[in-house]
Amino acid sequence: MAEIDDTSLFQEDDHRVAYIFTPPTTSTSATSPTTTAKTTPGRPAKRRRVSKKGTPSSQRQNDGESPQCAKLRKQTYESAWPVLEQQIQTVLRDANRQTLDEVVSFFNSDAQEKEGKGRIPAGFIITGPNIAGQDLLFGQLGEALTTTGGKGARFIRLRAGEVGNLKGALKKIVREGMNTGGEGQEGEGQEGEEGAFGGEWKREGGERTVIVAFQDSEAFDTGLVGELVGLFHSWQDRIQFSVLFGIATSVELFQARLLKSTARQLYGAQFDVVQANAVLESVIMAAVAGTKARHLRIGPGLLRKLVRRQQEHVAGVGAFVSSLKYAYMNHFYANPLSVLLANDGKIDKEILQPEHLEAVRMLESFKSHVELAVEAGQLGHAQKLLDDDEYLKNQVLEQADKRQKYMESLLRSLALVTATELSKRSFIELYETALEEGISLDQSPGPFDLGDAIKRSNPEELINLIDRVVNAIEDGNPSFGLEGWASDPDAEAAIENFKELRFDVERLLAESKEKGASLKSKYSSQSKVLRTTVVAQKVQLSRDTATLTEEDNAFTEAIDAFFGFFSRIVDCEPLSSLFLHKIWQYDYHLPYEDVFVPRPGGTFARALSRPHDYLGCACCDKANGSLAGTLPATSILYHLYSEAGALINVADLWVAYYALVGEESEIGMDERSALVLFYRGLAELRAMGFVKQSKKKADHIAKLKWL
Amino acid sequence: MPPKKATNQKPAARTSRKRQSPSDPYEIPEEDESEAPKRRRRANVPEPDPEDEKEATNDAVVSTPSASRLKKTVATPIKLNGLNGVDTPSRRNNADRSARRKSARALVDRVISGAISDDEAEEGDIAREIYESSEDEDEEEEEEARNGDLEPTTPSKSTPGRKRKAPTSTRARKRSPTPRDLPPHEQYFYQNKPGLSKTSNNNLSSLQLLTHDEYFTLLRELAPKTPHKSDIIHLQSLHASSFPQWAFELSQGFSTCLYGYGSKRHLLHQFATYLSSHPPCEPSQTNKIVIVNGYTPSFTTREFLSVLSSAISSPPVTSLPPLLSFLSSRPKTTLTILLNSITSPSLRKSSFQSLLSTLASHPQVFFCCTSDTPDFGLLWDSALSTSFQFLFHDCTTFASFSPSELVVVDTVHELLGRKTRRVGGKEGVAFVLRSLPENAKSLFRLLVGEVLCADEDTGGQEEVAVEYRMVYNRAVEEFICSSEMAFRTLLKEFHDHQIITSHKDTLGTELLSLPFRKEELEGILEELTT
Repeated sequence: MAEIDDTSLFQEDDHRVAYIFTPPTTSTSATSPTTTAKTTPGRPAKRRRVSKKGTPSSQRQNDGESPQCAKLRKQTYESAWPVLEQQIQTVLRDANRQTLDEVVSFFNSDAQEKEGKGRIPAGFIITGPNIAGQDLLFGQLGEALTTTGGKGARFIRLRAGEVGNLKGALKKIVREGMNTGGEGQEGEGQEGEEGAFGGEWKREGGERTVIVAFQDSEAFDTGLVGELVGLFHSWQDRIQFSVLFGIATSVELFQARLLKSTARQLYGAQFDVVQANAVLESVIMAAVAGTKARHLRIGPGLLRKLVRRQQEHVAGVGAFVSSLKYAYMNHFYANPLSVLLANDGKIDKEILQPEHLEAVRMLESFKSHVELAVEAGQLGHAQKLLDDDEYLKNQVLEQADKRQKYMESLLRSLALVTATELSKRSFIELYETALEEGISLDQSPGPFDLGDAIKRSNPEELINLIDRVVNAIEDGNPSFGLEGWASDPDAEAAIENFKELRFDVERLLAESKEKGASLKSKYSSQSKVLRTTVVAQKVQLSRDTATLTEEDNAFTEAIDAFFGFFSRIVDCEPLSSLFLHKIWQYDYHLPYEDVFVPRPGGTFARALSRPHDYLGCACCDKANGSLAGTLPATSILYHLYSEAGALINVADLWVAYYALVGEESEIGMDERSALVLFYRGLAELRAMGFVKQSKKKADHIAKLKWL
Repeated sequence: MPPKKATNQKPAARTSRKRQSPSDPYEIPEEDESEAPKRRRRANVPEPDPEDEKEATNDAVVSTPSASRLKKTVATPIKLNGLNGVDTPSRRNNADRSARRKSARALVDRVISGAISDDEAEEGDIAREIYESSEDEDEEEEEEARNGDLEPTTPSKSTPGRKRKAPTSTRARKRSPTPRDLPPHEQYFYQNKPGLSKTSNNNLSSLQLLTHDEYFTLLRELAPKTPHKSDIIHLQSLHASSFPQWAFELSQGFSTCLYGYGSKRHLLHQFATYLSSHPPCEPSQTNKIVIVNGYTPSFTTREFLSVLSSAISSPPVTSLPPLLSFLSSRPKTTLTILLNSITSPSLRKSSFQSLLSTLASHPQVFFCCTSDTPDFGLLWDSALSTSFQFLFHDCTTFASFSPSELVVVDTVHELLGRKTRRVGGKEGVAFVLRSLPENAKSLFRLLVGEVLCADEDTGGQEEVAVEYRMVYNRAVEEFICSSEMAFRTLLKEFHDHQIITSHKDTLGTELLSLPFRKEELEGILEELTT
């Protein structure tokens, strides 16, 4: 309604399909959001779901934030994300590498020429149901086959959406195969296309093969595939064609759809692609948990949500990556304190403003830190934190180092835990729990519940275990970019310790072998035995501890020692216990959900049923989700609509509407005006797809939405 | 849903009709035993029915030899309302033809109807009983309404106060109590239960509908005193405060989609103004902004592309790839596309959506669109949404749609099944046909007759369509045209004037139908035959 006034401004353009926008030269005030948005105090804050959890937001200068800081935040984002993005791309490309190699070697092998004489070589790539991920794979395939493929074949990708019929497909093949514009060839028939192709090909003197990839072969019309294959086959003596099929289901099902004669013309091999879950895990290792993600940690709650979405919806890794990116964007855009994450050296005491310190003092973790300090009797420290800005600045800036240290120790612990290969949980789960609850091998049950598994191991297993742990310390874990830390003084001692243990166990093993007994610990052997003795016709039950030899006891001690030591070096506290963790942890899932998984139905229903939520007007305050004459017409109609059955009588709807706003009601609108608004409301309901025409009865409409 | 419902309801009505039909008077005594269930069935028939039925019965017996027509008139309420027992020439014509076709059956019927004139009284009694039983039900309905149950009828009193009668018939089946607060999906199934949708027979005949002129005149008068005006402006300013955020998101390679109730055209325009001073591209690049109005009914891809190409000053193109390659060759140019109403009917084709997604995924293209319906999620499969990289924002504006976005009067009249603007109903057809040759007139008359016949057969409950092939054969039989070519030419003429529509059904059969209400069709037929 606000628009009625200013429609005249650009009414001309409204009816055009598209136009190039030229900004009005004079109107600046109308569009500068800073003035319009923030100069109306005293209004109730709107409950808008898009808002950013109340943190002062915006990249541009916040109230009181210096432009320098805003710029620095942006720079930090720009330096942090691209690194990760590149890392993710590498991971994704690596994931497909094996498939690529197989496909390339299949097309280059001579074997096919012997076995499949006269038939078209065909690669069937089982991509799984996620068609979103195929683009990258086929792009890579194209690269691999055209460059490293030796023969330098031509690679043509066909998508079902792009080519509807044989002519379109041939046209595309000719165009891409020849790398010509192909614009002028319209109107030629199928033979024309074919002829053009053959002719051009000969002119080029082409010895090379042409590989045609059907990216989503299930979506193609079966007849079309058959016809194309037939054509390729008939050209086989002049041009060497090969085909690639991306298959979401299975080769058997695909073959069942093809004609037998078509199938006979193909000679193929099947290739599998790495499962989406495995890809996701490696992406998370590299980009979320890895050392490359040194600026920002995705919190466990959000991570869990993201992973669940991947598993429940077939969303593709791409969706995960954009969610990750959005989390980064959000953090650096909306959280002014993220300026503290700026690269080393750029941030100093000068940049920090009093407002920053105030914000820091508002943080939950700051409060609990101060409380802890008071409890511990460090009253001076607590006092200074609260009063002394300089002191606080120093403390805040020191956090950067502490943060790095913490992350390092967390990752090392995780590396060690995964090195034991005893945990049944996936890495993602381990990582989430580590962030949320910390790592402690004692907690049971839990993902880090390794105690039993370690203790029950036999000597050989223990030796292997120690080896693996030592290796992990020396080499780190490349999948999350962790380097070995054997040179640390602590680690040196640890390695020493492990080696001693290993030596002990080996010695014990040798000794018991000499004696001809097997070495066991009190955990592994069936140490407790129930004995039944019958004495004077009564059964007596007694527990007996199986006798352990001296070596056995020594081995038990060794196991205990190993476990104790291992759990000590693995131990790690949860992220939330850290001072100022809010600055470098992002764990809000609301913005993410709103933006990636919208619930438009609910939004529309809410706007229509409770307009007050959005308008904040005085008149509709009392309605509170129920019907009132003051509501906008569409809203009233929506209320009536939701009360109605599947078929709605417009005459009755009008009567009901008019009863609410008409002359006899409080609103007192005359009939024709009310009818105008009624018309508009009804038309809007129709435009939103809530109702449609019904022919069952005169003047009836049918309900289409049940929200 | 309506077709579904039609199938749900129709059988019930039809079975009762069959039993009732006078062609089998010998069944009436038998039916006495099974009266209770029959009554229940008939309960759906609205009140004026019995009287009309009687009249119709008399009429039929006396004047026309066709009883098959009678069979149909009995239970079709709409028809009866319009007909009121008086035969229009068109009807007679129509019925005659149908009688000719079913002559054998008509003969038998005539014999029977002649023989059983005594039975009429009895039939009247039955009708009376049915009438009462339907009243009972209405009473019960009222009772239920009084009990406070949420009754799924249109929100108005469907039955004005009526004197109560002692319930004479025992209804075998009690309706289950109406549940409250059902989740949406349960509500859907509940409300679509066969036989549950009862609405009153009121119609808008007493209300004079708005014309375009009156609508706009009144709207202009209303404009200054619209409530919520300031609130809407404030809401918009709140959205406007997110402009920097959206621009940042665009600059990061995401596309944005703004959804929510209300017109977002103005907001998008403001956003364009903001973007022109704060472009999402690098400082060294120049940014062109193109606003696309997806709601325009005349939207074509070609026009869209030509505006895009002129925006980046490339040679005119007819397909996307050359445009994109031109753009790639000029890394200093970026393009921002702001699209109004991505869900509008003219953009819903998947080919256009994939074109858009290819555009949006280009690094030099920034894409922002709005959606006016809540169903936009269904437009994109996972491959498309991956290349769009959408971020969705709730932008409920409450702003009203401009006349260019939503043609209110036409939309409402279309909903009510009244075509006004296209050709002006009966008059329009007459006007069109006047300018056409004689055989075109004959063909149209044939078509109307066939559609009406088909309408009779289906009971007038759903949109009727006739088979293209069948109409062609009839046209050849009647010497209207001699070749399919000529036939097509005639049809094309009708198409151009939008007085017929054609579509294909699931089996691929081509079907023709007429976009008029039944009453209008009858009127047209009348005019054509005189």
